[in-house]
Amino acid sequence: MKHKYLYKIFIYAVLIVCAVIWILPLGVALIKSFQVEGVKNYIYVLNYEKISYVRVIFNSLFIGIVTSITVTIITSLAAFAFSKMKFAGNRVIFNSILACLAVPVASVTSPLFSLIKNFNLLDNHFGVILPLVAFNAPMMLLMIKNYFDTIPDELLESARMDGAGRFMIWCIFMMPLSVPIIANVLVLTFIYSWNDYLMPLLVMRSPDNYPVTLAAQFFMSSTYQSPVDVARIYAVMVLLALPSVLVYLISQRFLVSGVMSGSVKG
Amino acid sequence: MKKRGKSDRIAYLYIFPLMILSFAIVYYCIIDTVFVSFTDWDGMSAEFNIVGASNYVKMLKDPVFWGSVCNNLIFFVGTVFVQAFIGFILAVFLKTKLPGTGIFKAVYFMPIAMATSIITSIFKILMDPTNGVLNQFLRSVHLDMFACNWLGDPKVALFSVILVNIFQWMGFSMMTYYAGLMGLPDDVYEAARIDGAGFFKTVFHITFPMLRGTTNVLVILGIVGSLKTFDIVKLLTGGGPGRSTTVMNTYLYEKAFNDFNAGGAASIGVSILILAVVMSFIQIRLGEKE
Repeated sequence: MKHKYLYKIFIYAVLIVCAVIWILPLGVALIKSFQVEGVKNYIYVLNYEKISYVRVIFNSLFIGIVTSITVTIITSLAAFAFSKMKFAGNRVIFNSILACLAVPVASVTSPLFSLIKNFNLLDNHFGVILPLVAFNAPMMLLMIKNYFDTIPDELLESARMDGAGRFMIWCIFMMPLSVPIIANVLVLTFIYSWNDYLMPLLVMRSPDNYPVTLAAQFFMSSTYQSPVDVARIYAVMVLLALPSVLVYLISQRFLVSGVMSGSVKG
Repeated sequence: MKKRGKSDRIAYLYIFPLMILSFAIVYYCIIDTVFVSFTDWDGMSAEFNIVGASNYVKMLKDPVFWGSVCNNLIFFVGTVFVQAFIGFILAVFLKTKLPGTGIFKAVYFMPIAMATSIITSIFKILMDPTNGVLNQFLRSVHLDMFACNWLGDPKVALFSVILVNIFQWMGFSMMTYYAGLMGLPDDVYEAARIDGAGFFKTVFHITFPMLRGTTNVLVILGIVGSLKTFDIVKLLTGGGPGRSTTVMNTYLYEKAFNDFNAGGAASIGVSILILAVVMSFIQIRLGEKE
């Protein structure tokens, strides 16, 4: 019995030490952001004229929301066809879309850039959104299709008997029955596009269009030598990290299972 | 609906948007990369010449390219094994289901939900040689010898990058092992306990070997992850100082956008793509075995 007690203490000790290490970088940033001038650091950052915080958050939100909704709609439509319809080339097309999973985006930066330039989408939100949709879709397709496969065909057959068309079946059967996986895909795609750095780096030019990830670099490129500068830069990072921490806390369950299923099966 | 014998033409309408996007963007990029790798295109002008395999010959003779391959390898080894080790230990401890383990899980996983851009920025300030909190702390506890120029010293820069990467992705290894542990039958532990095996003996001689499949998956994902590495290096060190942290993707980016050598960049891109495809095949094979 005594042994068991010692184990427990040991386990907690290790867990707590690790947790402290994992919280420390953010914790230090938070504490240091209030140094020298306290809350004034935040007011300074929020009123910075070269780049507007509200604008930056808006850019990231816009990119994240449009990307995740687009991905969800086009992949769930396609997953419906791949899972429940019979047509020539079903497997071949499905596998050729899945094969895109293997492509590291960073290895095709140069053709991506010329593609966006030719579409005339440089310095445009859709220049970021379009590639993000294309590169995130394959994994989300796999997740939704796997889920659709578990919905029995008989159920849809009976809806068909009642005269519902395919699109109606997708709308009123497949989507409502798949709410957990749809939420998963929405959250995951949102976080991935919110956190993406490479696409905005290639596409965005004017600070007015910078999302969170580029804005962080914009501030990092200014000099931060005096204690006030350092405190202000910490305040910037806290402000920029805040939305994703909030999203994480709200949607933790979906996110964890999403990241896990997406990567392990993919 | 699948049971009916006829082919459903309407289906193409449903897959059309996704197909167009995949083929027009992803496949276009792949084909374009392969094509450009045989030209001397600069990435901007309308003119270029077909130069055969000369980009590949240059690449294979380029010590910087091999240095970047080597860095990718070090990055993979340094990340995966440390990450798997910490992840495994923490997963075993969390599996005990003591009160409060949910909070710990949430803490360890959080960096994955955060942007690499922000995490690297915070670490860059923390690792500043003079004003950084890390060195200030080391000096205050009289460990001056460990206080170094974390990102500016060619000998330690790659190590620092790996450290930040472990910080961001350890939670993933932990959750993978945790999921693996949930799949193990409980009677294994019972049998070990009856045999009188201690906690650590059980963990390392019984649990760890039983999770070999999970470890294999993590190793493969680690190689794939290393091939995808770009953000963290570009943001922390930009590949420097010198060439000490240059990985394949940052070298490719440099060639394409700083040297205006799209052909050279494409030949690196093709090698990354080939490696990525090979790794995916191995991953699928492993998945089928599981």
